[in-house]
Amino acid sequence: MLPHLNAAYRFARWLSHSPGDADDLVQEAILRAFRGFDTLRGSNVKAWLLAIVRNCHSTALKQQQRRAFVPLPEEHDPQDGYAMIATTPDPESASIRRDDARALERLMSALPEEHREVLVLREIEELDYRAIATVTNVPIGTVMSRLARARATLKARWLREVEGELRGVR
Amino acid sequence: MGCAESLRVQAYFDGEVDAVSAADLERHVEHCAECRALLQDLEQTRTAIRRDLPPGRAPPELRARIMQALDRETALNTPRGKRWGRTSWRTRPFWVGALGGLGSAAVAATLFLVLSPSLTNPLLDDLLSAHVRSLMPSHLIDVVSSDQHTVKPWFAGHTDVSPVVADFTPQGYRLIGGRADYLEHQRSAVVVYQHGPHVINVFSWAASSALPRNTTRSGYHMAFWSAGDVQYCAVSDTGWDELLGLVRLLRVRE
Repeated sequence: MLPHLNAAYRFARWLSHSPGDADDLVQEAILRAFRGFDTLRGSNVKAWLLAIVRNCHSTALKQQQRRAFVPLPEEHDPQDGYAMIATTPDPESASIRRDDARALERLMSALPEEHREVLVLREIEELDYRAIATVTNVPIGTVMSRLARARATLKARWLREVEGELRGVR
Repeated sequence: MGCAESLRVQAYFDGEVDAVSAADLERHVEHCAECRALLQDLEQTRTAIRRDLPPGRAPPELRARIMQALDRETALNTPRGKRWGRTSWRTRPFWVGALGGLGSAAVAATLFLVLSPSLTNPLLDDLLSAHVRSLMPSHLIDVVSSDQHTVKPWFAGHTDVSPVVADFTPQGYRLIGGRADYLEHQRSAVVVYQHGPHVINVFSWAASSALPRNTTRSGYHMAFWSAGDVQYCAVSDTGWDELLGLVRLLRVRE
């Protein structure tokens, strides 16, 4: 289970908007998995754990909505937003790379959640359609259409970003 | 995205189609400019994501926090009450002189089993009986070995499953052998560990029904989990902490 901690963390980061939330989400998911409340179906342990992360996330969301949750002032973590980005030794290309990466991360964050999650599961976690269907609890056909829409939207917005030279303006 | 084949082209890109469909789609793409462009877009998007958003790793603090939480969890999970008369079982130096004292221990265990409230789930009943039976003289182990490379192959010829077998002596769980038992209408594999004076039986069988939740019966803790198509149950009269400690070691090996 712990071999998939990184995957759980990455997925949690994409689901929740603050690193603190992601930490809590991962911890809760792993404890749930450990307690064996969510029985493993099939043989894909990674997909199983990610499904639990996702369930914990939607449970947390529902609870927040029910309590008319008032967010605390966000703690600013200097690592926030950069944590997932590797640095390269060449400072110039590193800075371009970082801009690109930040823009891409922002565009992906702006996708509707149901699109973002299939994209992350496919491109970053490299799950197959069946595993993605397990994690997101929808039929494979829905996975395929969501994935297509997510990719098309991301591509279109990326183009708009580049062509409109909006980069850096935010 | 007007072409009717676009989803299949995407599936081809994602490596989700068989060889025949792949050849078919390759021919299609040759003649369909739209799908050629689509393939290119898919490739670019993937490259950008994988290049610019390299896999993040869980921060070490989080990893440490989770390990701590798991430890706390197992401590919390240890029932402090006197459910099922458990307390007397745990505090009594029951298995002192471990294997030597098994005879009387087993008698007491059987009495406990008989006196305990009726068990509703037949699987739990079977597991508990098998555990208690194993504590009777010479029923514990069919293959005596602390070597996983001896125990594991033995299962191949005697049981219907091939469970995780590993020795965790450094962590306090000594592999002492294996046994075949009849459970869920199949020849299940039992890996036997010794933890201090306690015997822990780790049952495994091909998944056939829903996995029960962790529970305590007649003073014996039963921890369930599954890996792939195999379901596991660790049974012992050790504390929850100790039992779940072994479960954690085994799950990491999956």
